[in-house]
Amino acid sequence: MKTKRFSLFFLLALGAIILSACSRAPIATNWAGLAADANQAYLSNGAFVYAVDMQSGKEVWRYPAEADSKQSFYATPVLTADGQLLIGSAGTTHPFVSINPETGKENWTESFTGAKGAWMASPLVLNETIYAPNTDGFLYTLDLKGNQIVDPIELGGALWSTPATDGSFLYITSLDHHLHILDLAGSGAIDPIDLGGAAPGSPVIGKDGAYVGSFASTVEFIQPGGSHEVIATAENWIWGTPFIDGETLYYADLNGGIYSLDLATGSQNWDAVQPDGPVVASPLVFGDQVYVATESGSFFALDRDGKTIWEKAVGGQIYTTPVVSGDLILVAPYQAEFTLAAYDAAGKQAWTFTPAK
Amino acid sequence: MWQTFIIQPMTNLLLWIYDILGHGPHTFGFAIILFTILIKLITWPLNASQVKGAQAMQELQNDKEWIEIQKKYAKDKEKLAQEQMRIYKDRGINPFASCLPTLIQFPIIIGLYQSITRALSATPYNMLQLARTVYPFQNVENIIPLNSKFLWMDLGRPESIQILGFALPTLAIIVALTTWVQSKLTMPASSNPNDQSAQMTKMMGIYMPLMLGWFALNFASGIAVYFIVSNLLGVVQYAATGRANWSNLFGGSKTITTTKK
Repeated sequence: MKTKRFSLFFLLALGAIILSACSRAPIATNWAGLAADANQAYLSNGAFVYAVDMQSGKEVWRYPAEADSKQSFYATPVLTADGQLLIGSAGTTHPFVSINPETGKENWTESFTGAKGAWMASPLVLNETIYAPNTDGFLYTLDLKGNQIVDPIELGGALWSTPATDGSFLYITSLDHHLHILDLAGSGAIDPIDLGGAAPGSPVIGKDGAYVGSFASTVEFIQPGGSHEVIATAENWIWGTPFIDGETLYYADLNGGIYSLDLATGSQNWDAVQPDGPVVASPLVFGDQVYVATESGSFFALDRDGKTIWEKAVGGQIYTTPVVSGDLILVAPYQAEFTLAAYDAAGKQAWTFTPAK
Repeated sequence: MWQTFIIQPMTNLLLWIYDILGHGPHTFGFAIILFTILIKLITWPLNASQVKGAQAMQELQNDKEWIEIQKKYAKDKEKLAQEQMRIYKDRGINPFASCLPTLIQFPIIIGLYQSITRALSATPYNMLQLARTVYPFQNVENIIPLNSKFLWMDLGRPESIQILGFALPTLAIIVALTTWVQSKLTMPASSNPNDQSAQMTKMMGIYMPLMLGWFALNFASGIAVYFIVSNLLGVVQYAATGRANWSNLFGGSKTITTTKK
């Protein structure tokens, strides 16, 4: 009897230990960030940023050379005109670094460590100035050597998206439900616009202003002066950045709906197309095709009427927006057999990439 | 299963309380406090059985038959244990009643930790998981992102206060202290220093403050808020029964000794 009771006690104690082992300190996990130039793809995927050769799909370098448990990378790396690759860490320490895209070595003697939060957003580089939004709610302004130019601008809320610009104004979305507009000429900030919901995606710049989707399931059109209006709706949250192609605005929602809005008339070009699952990634238009990646792990090519041209079962879940390099389209699935795949316009897989352990 | 029956209800309850409170600054901290009170109310019968069990154990220490077997089988531990178990069985006493509620706290702690992490959504992936977790009646568009600030803390991160260049983990210290106070107050006195159940209870009184303090040191400070409020409510609940062993707290744990006449 006694043995039985003690066994019960130790089993419970063991259960407690096992359960407690499941709850380690918070580790930021997210889907990968993806960028590419003509020769290489750049994938920020947890402990490393990888450069992958576009011809062979082989790893060229990884940064850092050895994993650092305090650092992780998920923001989309940004290439600058002067040949830098910029990215910030989303780990427990959050340096903002400049990497040489050819070698994977750091460019700056010291990385920028002035931000208090993780880097989820990519920076915008304009006129030799880096505008870097951080989850601490501040927009940091750096020169191309990583030196802070002016005091950080407090916008509020966590900033997860890349700023957009028309050359005169910066448009920055925040999770605090607002779109912030900054006048680059220095005449100050325009009152933030309440979007009615958090906006994790970037605005996209059109002919007369910016377009932005939000968790309010709406697309708003914002003019530089700050006037704004809802021009379209969706069935669920709009996560990704809308894509403008001429007079057409493509956007998607978490119900899996793909929308094609005629900006001239304000009417939808098709009844919402729903491929096979929620869509977080932004739609991509390349050539005559509209590419859509779904959480179900499928990759679709649609024609301009919303009809499916081809469909590929990539696997895992796809949250990262596909990227074009040359004549290939790159897809980075999350929790899949591979971390990066290249397809041609006909849907033929050119290669896949899985990082070596 | 874990997701459906633990994480989802806990996360939604936290969000619902947060929404009711007006989702302003510091609100998430108050939501955790109210959540803890609710959990305490739900687990009240369990804690009451803990109090009852501890009380029965205390009373047993002065029981004539109990004292006699301690003397009679002082040199035969196996027989002593058999006799103790017989008495436990005869009187309907569960010697582990005071340990079980503590262990049952673990799923709640882990569920709460995961719910806090999910509710505060540090990454887009967490946010997406949150979107899948909320029940349809929640007006989640309005309330996310949650404000993680509470007093001087960021509830999604471990807490410390910078004092003279040192990061002092104040919440971890308070958690360890309040856990120790609670365990001391509820620890029954023992008539026999070799009584294994009493030793086990004593060990729990040492390890639990250290373990929970370690949790508070390393995990989101929202968990530490839960520990502190839970411990304080536990002390209040125990003190309300009039059975709190205050002498344990101020005079150290005393062992009831028996002497041969």
